[in-house]
Amino acid sequence: MNATENVLEERLVGAQVHREIEQFLYREARLLDTERLDDWLALMADDVHYWMPSMENRRRNDKHGAYQADGGAFFNDNLRDLTRRVARFKQPTAWAEDPPTRHTHVVSGIEAFAAGRDDEYVVHSTFVNYRSRVEKDNDLLVGRREDLLRRVDGGLRIARRKVLITQSILMAKNLNTFL
Amino acid sequence: MCNDTRTQPIRLKRRPASDARENLDQLLDLENGRMSRNMFWDHDIYEQELEKIFARCWLFVGHESQIPKSGDYITTYLGEDNVIVVRQKDGAVKAFLNTCPHRGNKVCFADAGSARQFVCNYHGWSFGIDGGLKGMHASEAYEASGLDKSQHGLHPVAGIESYRGLIFATLDPAAPSLAEYLGDFRYYLDAVFDMDEGGTEFVGGCVKSVIQCNWKYASENFVGDILHAGWTHDSGARAMIGGPVAEVHKFPEQSYHVNFNGHGWEFNQDIVGNAATLGEKDLVKYLYNLQPRVAERLGEVRSRMIGSISSATLFPNTSFLPGQNTFRTWHPRGPGQIELHTWTFVNKAAPQDIKDKWRKGTMMTFSPTGVFEMDDGENWEYSTKTNAGFVTRQQDLYMGLGSNTRLADSGLPGNVFKGQINEANQRAFYQRWLDLMKSKTWAEVPQRDTPMLPTTGTAQEKAA
Repeated sequence: MNATENVLEERLVGAQVHREIEQFLYREARLLDTERLDDWLALMADDVHYWMPSMENRRRNDKHGAYQADGGAFFNDNLRDLTRRVARFKQPTAWAEDPPTRHTHVVSGIEAFAAGRDDEYVVHSTFVNYRSRVEKDNDLLVGRREDLLRRVDGGLRIARRKVLITQSILMAKNLNTFL
Repeated sequence: MCNDTRTQPIRLKRRPASDARENLDQLLDLENGRMSRNMFWDHDIYEQELEKIFARCWLFVGHESQIPKSGDYITTYLGEDNVIVVRQKDGAVKAFLNTCPHRGNKVCFADAGSARQFVCNYHGWSFGIDGGLKGMHASEAYEASGLDKSQHGLHPVAGIESYRGLIFATLDPAAPSLAEYLGDFRYYLDAVFDMDEGGTEFVGGCVKSVIQCNWKYASENFVGDILHAGWTHDSGARAMIGGPVAEVHKFPEQSYHVNFNGHGWEFNQDIVGNAATLGEKDLVKYLYNLQPRVAERLGEVRSRMIGSISSATLFPNTSFLPGQNTFRTWHPRGPGQIELHTWTFVNKAAPQDIKDKWRKGTMMTFSPTGVFEMDDGENWEYSTKTNAGFVTRQQDLYMGLGSNTRLADSGLPGNVFKGQINEANQRAFYQRWLDLMKSKTWAEVPQRDTPMLPTTGTAQEKAA
């Protein structure tokens, strides 16, 4: 990683745009928590790539690395894939959602930078996702996201999202939410 | 290829087999299709499973394609025993317990990689990829103490062999050969793992997750339970194909339960039913195009199984879905937990875009985020968790579906039953479980199934 080099090149967005981006991510979290999944889908750009790779424990000197673009993934989705997942959630036979799972997405550590284009922003954030189900099925995920947000018709859309969690073995039976 | 190393391994020692637990026969009444819940919650039974099943059977450890070059390795589990599986300089594959013979620390903390040696973090003992002890930090001290390095390598497994690219290992030097262990099930394995020139490969690494369930629920689900799909997976099917799961219970003709030595496969012969659920027309087209060539290679019946509505388990804890191309091992972690390792397999000769679609499709359907798998884990967890109740755990369970459906003259290898809506494979799975649990040695395990195929040569050659 060339962290030093990248940090020097990063240009923070202005306060107003930063606030707009912050509010966008908070609203997105609320839409997920309240199961407004169609509204959530509407936040995606048509060409969205929503990627959450699974990781492998590799030694530092292994050029293969922990994450691979052509590796396994929890999500490696375009808009059609995301729409299909939402379609499952909405079925009355989505048994693992009935009674409903309770979700809380906590978003923090938001940094927003100018991207290569005027209408796009590179946004880093951290998240805590806590899910509870029936009596005491409680699952905790903590991770980082790297988004590419794009201004479309005056509003922001998610054009790319990369989600990295800390667990190499997902400590849960499923992942029935978006991050 | 793997060499069969089941000559007495150096230093893989184990205590004499313990006596079988009493009253095991009371756990299963296969004729009447009843089973006890004890086997899903009892810690003593679990300890016996580690010994009598997981430290004895041939267990899947990896695919040849994951470790193509000398020094390539993966780490995995035989039951709860962590092992390193590593390609040797001569192309053979060896496997060792992942523990230093000095103070027991793990010598490899990576899931996969390439190594010239494995070095223990504790005292710097280093081992070649052949498992031999090469040296250590401050080696003069050991030399002065008279340590014989040749006697302190990594502990090798008792046997390692592969079939159609799938590598298996056993910790029991008295285990039958892998060919005998798989027996006539090889005939069916070929339908998927030898359908095409070049066989299969694993792509995209391994996705791992934890489910709070007994390992047998997962294994038996894949060994024969298509019945749950129409109900459990209705939401997934509607999402992926816009309609319900095919009503397989209405079409018992041309569909089967087949099993051998506890391995089982339930299937119909629609060629592409499973594959269609990935919602990628190109995959369905690919299989239809391939089918005539498979028919030439393996015969009509097997050519119609390649991506059909079906599922299979290799006894005890490895399963796969033709068509959806997920391959997984349910590693036991106590009576109430498993660690699930999931891979995607594809035909090696398939075009890259087909491989990519399969890799994505597997994750979309059968991974922790998959629209089908999402509803499975919860069923297995609560089939396990309900047993906490003192009275609940003493109630028996029903598994009598498809009694009297045995086909004596199907001409197919193994035990063949009519109709895939059946529990014949589950009953055979638990019969094998019981046979192993009751036997102190491999020699005592009853040979219930008479093989049609020879143990030498390939299943395909015999069938031709």
